[in-house]
Amino acid sequence: MPNGLTVAAVHLRVSALNEFQYRSNFFLQVLQSLIQVVSGLVVVALVYDKTSQLNGWDRSELLAAVGVFTIVGGLVRAFIEPSILQLMDDVQEGTFDFVLTRPVDPLLLVSVRRLNVWQLADVVVGAIIVVVAAADLPASFGPAAAAVFVALLGSAALIAHSMWLAVACCAFWVVRLPYMQNLFHYVGRSAQYPISIYPAWLRIGLTVVVPLGIAVTAPSEAVTSRLDATTVAVVAAVTIGTVVLSRALWRRGLRRYSGASS
Amino acid sequence: MATASIEAERLSKHFKVPVREPGVRASVTSLFRREHRIVEAADDVSFTIERGEIVGFLGPNGAGKTTTLKMLAGLLSPTGGHARVLGFEPFDRSPEFLRRVTLVMGNRNQLQWDLPATDSFELHRAIYRIGRTDFERARDELVALLDLGGLVDKPVRNLSLGERMKVEIADALLHQPEVMFLDEPTLGLDITMQRRIRSFLADYNARTGASILLTSHYMADVEALCPRVLVIHHGHLLFDGRLTELAARFGTAKSIRVQLAEGDDPTAATTAVAAAVAAARGAGLTVTDGPLVEGVVTFRVDREAAPHAAAFLLGRLDVVDVSIEDPPVDDVIDKVFTDG
Amino acid sequence: MAEAASLVARPVGNVRSLLALYRAQMRIAIVGTLQYRVYNVVELVLMLSEPLVYLMVWRIVAEEQGGEVDGFTPARFAAYYIAWSMVRTFTQSGSPHNWERQIRDGRMSAVLMRPMHPIHQDVAHWLGFVIARVLTWLPAGAVLCLAFRPQLDTGPVQVVAFVWAMVGALVLRTIINDVVGIAAFWVTSIAAIGSLMQVVELLTSGRLVPLDLMPGWVQSVSLVLPFRWAFYFPIEVLIGPMSGAELAAGLAAQGGWVVAMAVFFRVVWRRGVRRYGAVGG
Repeated sequence: MPNGLTVAAVHLRVSALNEFQYRSNFFLQVLQSLIQVVSGLVVVALVYDKTSQLNGWDRSELLAAVGVFTIVGGLVRAFIEPSILQLMDDVQEGTFDFVLTRPVDPLLLVSVRRLNVWQLADVVVGAIIVVVAAADLPASFGPAAAAVFVALLGSAALIAHSMWLAVACCAFWVVRLPYMQNLFHYVGRSAQYPISIYPAWLRIGLTVVVPLGIAVTAPSEAVTSRLDATTVAVVAAVTIGTVVLSRALWRRGLRRYSGASS
Repeated sequence: MATASIEAERLSKHFKVPVREPGVRASVTSLFRREHRIVEAADDVSFTIERGEIVGFLGPNGAGKTTTLKMLAGLLSPTGGHARVLGFEPFDRSPEFLRRVTLVMGNRNQLQWDLPATDSFELHRAIYRIGRTDFERARDELVALLDLGGLVDKPVRNLSLGERMKVEIADALLHQPEVMFLDEPTLGLDITMQRRIRSFLADYNARTGASILLTSHYMADVEALCPRVLVIHHGHLLFDGRLTELAARFGTAKSIRVQLAEGDDPTAATTAVAAAVAAARGAGLTVTDGPLVEGVVTFRVDREAAPHAAAFLLGRLDVVDVSIEDPPVDDVIDKVFTDG
Repeated sequence: MAEAASLVARPVGNVRSLLALYRAQMRIAIVGTLQYRVYNVVELVLMLSEPLVYLMVWRIVAEEQGGEVDGFTPARFAAYYIAWSMVRTFTQSGSPHNWERQIRDGRMSAVLMRPMHPIHQDVAHWLGFVIARVLTWLPAGAVLCLAFRPQLDTGPVQVVAFVWAMVGALVLRTIINDVVGIAAFWVTSIAAIGSLMQVVELLTSGRLVPLDLMPGWVQSVSLVLPFRWAFYFPIEVLIGPMSGAELAAGLAAQGGWVVAMAVFFRVVWRRGVRRYGAVGG
């Protein structure tokens, strides 16, 4: 059985090569990134035109949060979403059979098959925003803090992957629904701003029901030096929880797929 | 009303296709200078189909049959020549024209996926502006003819491939078109279903006098349904006539099928056959023998020399039964296409 | 069996068959959509998270500023964003990319063979879809109203006008999507055009923030583009206050846009079909 890492590396390389073929895609992606970023920044600009604090978050801090959101968004759209969309397509078309007959763990395979290189533009743009915003912030960013930040980004990616996977598993039960990918878009929108500015009930909702909220907030808090131990503990718990739940759903879905093939 | 249903007059369709070379350097240059080549999908195709005819379009993939069909259906505009269907210029796509023809494509779904076919039928009725009583009569007759029964009440996604095809055909005929364009209608269906659909089409043609033009890969479709055949290859019309004449025009061989008396003694039979063939060749005849199966063997001989070869072989062998046939049309077509 | 052509000889009148088409297609869309109950609920909940987030942010801003921002109290923001969620849910009408897909997988041939203009089926389908949506939205909407106590400045006339404006918004949005979508007859990928439209729509339709909060020049630009009339206008009508004259003018403008886009579509469609016939899609 081929090493999981080797499989991932090979797929990523092929995906990247594929993407490089389409130069027009690059400009398109940059355009899309700018659209997302611009809309986020426009709202921030308007909001801070009317006020100076958003429940304790000033403009630079919120900008940093928007930057983190953009980074996570970029990671999701580059590494996670293309594979998940492919998975949904395969399940609905029946070509998922080809995945199941390969000598590789199907979950690994479907997770690393596609890479949208140009979406990494978002990561770059987001990083720029964070850096620009952080320049205005008082605290400094040592190596320990950077490590925590990267770790939290990693857990955000894991949470996002589990969530996206859970949505994709819908395809095992609901065959042939157009525009299912809109669901991802909605989920993304809900995590735009750090959840610490919201009232308690919404914070809980965006931690437990749509955990992308806390996933993006934690690294934002790390950058703005607001991170506390409770948040880290909650993030850890949520990460484990979402991973476990999504795996369970995946297994259920696989069983259904194999049982219900016509 | 024009006497001819379908008239194709020197129909041609040329596509300009960009040339794509691999490699990075070529991709960059192609941004500035695009090279094209001309693909002649159909060239100078002419034929006339009268009312009530069933005509088959034969040809390998890429031969131009679907292209020609699409020009007659009004989907593609001819680069040269004219098409006239029921007196209309198809590419004008007038509603009157579209209401009198129908297009069925094998393996392609037009029906609503999640709902029973009856709902799609209603939609069809509205789009084609069919009156309620006329519609119900046509629908009931089609349900009976195609033996649909309860299939129309099940969601289309729950039907098998063959059932789906039957329902699609019913939907396509609700407005009682005078001309049916069928593009690979039996694609992917099992033998029984293929036969059912063929017999339905023949029946429908007999009852309503609708003209049918169908393209197919399956020789069986054409053999069973189409008295007349158009053979297209590389965009050119190679043949227009009866299937039986096809063998005569392009076939250069004939088959002599012989049942030997030594049927139950394979060794003796084999020896006899070998001896006969050797003798025939010795006499200057081109003879090839096929496998010997339960005392039956098929020889292939030149068309012109067939009677002579037959007499020779019959003289040499102890024969219980004999028949002289044209080779299977499949073989003829194969030969036509591989010879180019 | 009746001889072919006998049916064609007496087609049903144009208006009657159009009505029949709308009824049949809408029914199909409604039944088809309502089949997926769980999915509908999940989708609705997720859809509502976007306006919820915006609402929360602006409420905080209003509270920080002592109760209101540019005339918007928290109650008015609530009204705005609940109306926002209604318009967003009820004017969903596919995407331009559908056309691109149809051409790619050959379904365009079937569309072209129908003796009826495709726009009718499109609009009818989304009308039906939206009706199904309304049914799923109502309970969620009720909860939202109870939770946030929106404040409306309207009367019964405006509510009726709101329904009319929403239908107009749906039709307008569908036609805009179609106009952009049939660019697929000329270019293989309309992703670039789609993105461009997306930006302009985002900024001038009131999706991001209430247009009243945007700088003056953006508001002026939005008045001459169709997007505002496909999103912001119905919201305005519902949350008020709107005088009778403003209402009439607005409805006329919206109607004008619908007609203009429909005519434009017709012209471009004919060209597009000719092009499809020339290059084969």
